[in-house]
Amino acid sequence: MAAGPYNYSYIFKYIIIGDMGVGKSCLLHQFTEKKFMADCPHTIGVEFGTRIIEVSGQKIKLQIWDTAGQERFRAVTRSYYRGAAGALMVYDITRRSTYNHLSSWLTDARNLTNPNTVIFLIGNKSDLEAQRDVTYEEAKQFADENGLMFLECSAKTGDNVEDAFLDTAKKIYQNIQDGSLDLNAAESGVQHKPATPRTTLNTDQQPSDKGCAC
Amino acid sequence: MADTSTSSFAAGNVPASNPLSKKLNKILESRLDNDKDMLEALKALSTFFGENSLRTRRNLRSDIERRSLAINEEFLQTFQVVKNQLDSVYADVKAMNDCCQDMTTRLKNAKAQTHDLINQTTKLHGESQKLQMKQQVADTFLEKFQLKPDEIKSLRSTKSGALSQDFFQALARVKQIHTDCKILLRTNHQTAGLEIMESMALHQESSYERLYRWSQNECRMLTAESPDISPLLCQALQALQDRPVLFKYTLDEFGTARRTAVVRGLIDALTRGGPGGTPRPIELHSHDPLRYVGDMLAWLHQATASEKEYLQTLLKRCEHFVRIYKGGMFDADTDKLVIIGATDDTIQDILGHITEGVCRPFKVRVEQVLVSEQDAVTLYKLNNLLKFYHHTIGQIINPDAALLSTIMEIQDLSHRMFFNSLTCTANKLLDKVELPPADLGPTASLLHTMSLLKDVLQCHDSSVVTLENKKQDFKQILSCVLDPLLQMCNVSASRLSTVDMAAYMVNCIYSMQTTIALYEFTDTRQEMLSAQVDAHLDAMISEQAAFVLNRVDLAQIYGTIQQHQPKMGPLSSIQGLDPLTVKSAMNKFDSYLASPDSLTLPQCSLITSSKNRELIKKNSADLICQSYKLMYEAICDPKNEYREYQSIVPRTPDQVVKLLT
Repeated sequence: MAAGPYNYSYIFKYIIIGDMGVGKSCLLHQFTEKKFMADCPHTIGVEFGTRIIEVSGQKIKLQIWDTAGQERFRAVTRSYYRGAAGALMVYDITRRSTYNHLSSWLTDARNLTNPNTVIFLIGNKSDLEAQRDVTYEEAKQFADENGLMFLECSAKTGDNVEDAFLDTAKKIYQNIQDGSLDLNAAESGVQHKPATPRTTLNTDQQPSDKGCAC
Repeated sequence: MADTSTSSFAAGNVPASNPLSKKLNKILESRLDNDKDMLEALKALSTFFGENSLRTRRNLRSDIERRSLAINEEFLQTFQVVKNQLDSVYADVKAMNDCCQDMTTRLKNAKAQTHDLINQTTKLHGESQKLQMKQQVADTFLEKFQLKPDEIKSLRSTKSGALSQDFFQALARVKQIHTDCKILLRTNHQTAGLEIMESMALHQESSYERLYRWSQNECRMLTAESPDISPLLCQALQALQDRPVLFKYTLDEFGTARRTAVVRGLIDALTRGGPGGTPRPIELHSHDPLRYVGDMLAWLHQATASEKEYLQTLLKRCEHFVRIYKGGMFDADTDKLVIIGATDDTIQDILGHITEGVCRPFKVRVEQVLVSEQDAVTLYKLNNLLKFYHHTIGQIINPDAALLSTIMEIQDLSHRMFFNSLTCTANKLLDKVELPPADLGPTASLLHTMSLLKDVLQCHDSSVVTLENKKQDFKQILSCVLDPLLQMCNVSASRLSTVDMAAYMVNCIYSMQTTIALYEFTDTRQEMLSAQVDAHLDAMISEQAAFVLNRVDLAQIYGTIQQHQPKMGPLSSIQGLDPLTVKSAMNKFDSYLASPDSLTLPQCSLITSSKNRELIKKNSADLICQSYKLMYEAICDPKNEYREYQSIVPRTPDQVVKLLT
């Protein structure tokens, strides 16, 4: 009875970015509630959702910050990149313009997050095959060129949504596993705690948990 | 036998009448061979009567008697044995009888004796059953109302002070027993009830105290950036709900630990940035006020959301109706804590406490930014940003939380600073009133202020606050900028001629109108401005009309005609209205009609708005037409005695209208 869903070892902070109307909030809703939100209102500033997942037997809590795509919120949403371990960059496969803006989003993501942040490219609305405006191959090539992970998803049908969030988490986890070495080597002399940003570490420091004699 | 034989002898000789003969007959008649007894007797006689002699015959009788005696004696002897045996049997039977009787008596005695015993046994048996029942009851009672040794053990503190699952189970049992005692108190077992209750209360107290110490320690250690809240701690808080004071203290402890963590987190984010310096420290952007303040606010928003999550995790097991004890209020009647607010309130209270710590470092920094910022547009953007975050963070935390009131204060400050800056700019205009330029257009300072206003209104386009807010702001901004501007215009125009002033004012106000026309919520202002423009335009229109009439010498004539009354006699007889004068003026007017644009006020062509220019032209022409109509009608009127009036006013008013419009 004790364990419950709250016992997680890590918290990963995600940020979802992309143009207005590409379905960022719907993706989040589909991921956290497993439901499609048909009349999703425009996001005001930022909103956030959480869900606990399991990666390699570790419970991980995802804290996902969903940003507004509207230009007028750009200044506000930029402040939320800070400390994100994963960035989901979303475009709409039926609207070429949203794809064309990716490079500007990517620039933001690269500039405002840390080098270890995992950036995942998501082509949303894959259920609307008939209206497709951006081919899979083209986006895949863009992702490869920029070292991004990539999937086409549908927030409506839920297709691949789970995978996008989970794959990102797996990658981050993997970075933690082998990344600590990496970081120490790369920036010698700088002392810092965990490998990844605020994907903080609760696990290892538990033994004292029951040990406070006083 | 002898008799028989004798008589049979006699019977053959003597008749029957004689007794003797009778007897004889009888003997004779008797058939010896049929008489078995006789035969037997004779047979027996023959055994010992061997010799038939007198003596033997004489002795026969005695012999027989002797023999009979011997036989009887033998008989007697034989029966003597039987008798003896019977006697012994008798004795035996008698003995048996005695024995039986004895036994019966004894049995009777025994029975009499055991009756008591049996009664006693039955009684005892009954008692034993009762006792057994009692024992069962007592066992059940004990089981229900006493703690098992291992339960007591798990309640007692261990050396390490650690808690286990058993502790909570035992605690729950103590509580159950304590509650059950209330039932006991309602029955006859009040003493037991009270005693048990008391002992359970003692157990409870010590356990709660132990639980409290443990929880307090656990909470105290939750100072990591993202704390690990163990399930046991959640359970502990659930249990502590029964002791609102301890519950509150524990939560306070948690709040204090988190508060420290959040403050440290903010300072780290400000000065150290992420691990290895990425993302970069927020303070690196302090030269960019919007980014600097925005980053801090976003950080606070995220931190608040996270802290709320931790609190919800911590209190997830606590029931919603359970409330927290606030500030020492006791109900005198029940001696119970008066409970106020629900779990959500609890969370809000603690969250307010947690986020209170960052208020100061945050406030100091933002205030510094605001105070050193001069630019109204930036200040306004900051104000909007603060408003946005006040709203956004307000969705997570109660409005009365210190963090929100701090943001509100800063927002107020930014609001004030912004309007200060605006007012300052506006006041500068008034301090040093520029003279209207030769072209009567808006002054440079006015244009400059207008572009500032435009920038301010513009930045609302990209702002993130609600429309209602925007409406309110705009109203204030407009009056803050436009009112002094209008005043300045009036002051600078004060030394001008009427026409110049009107033209100048029309131009100035027009430039304001065009600036604000692009934005919403400016309708009222625009109405006001256009009313003022209209007034100035009217002045210009009548000036223009008067100018024309003056130039064709009709002004005097028109004025007199207007004031003329029938009793004053015919118009033609009045001085200055003689047909000649009128005719020459009308001739001039006619030449004006040939080229109407020749008689335009120079100020009219300085009006920047073509629409206004057209309006002046058209309305002044209308005015002239009206005047002409009045004069025409007066001159054509026979009462006024103009002869050949057709030569004086050759054109009908309709013709004039056609020519002028």
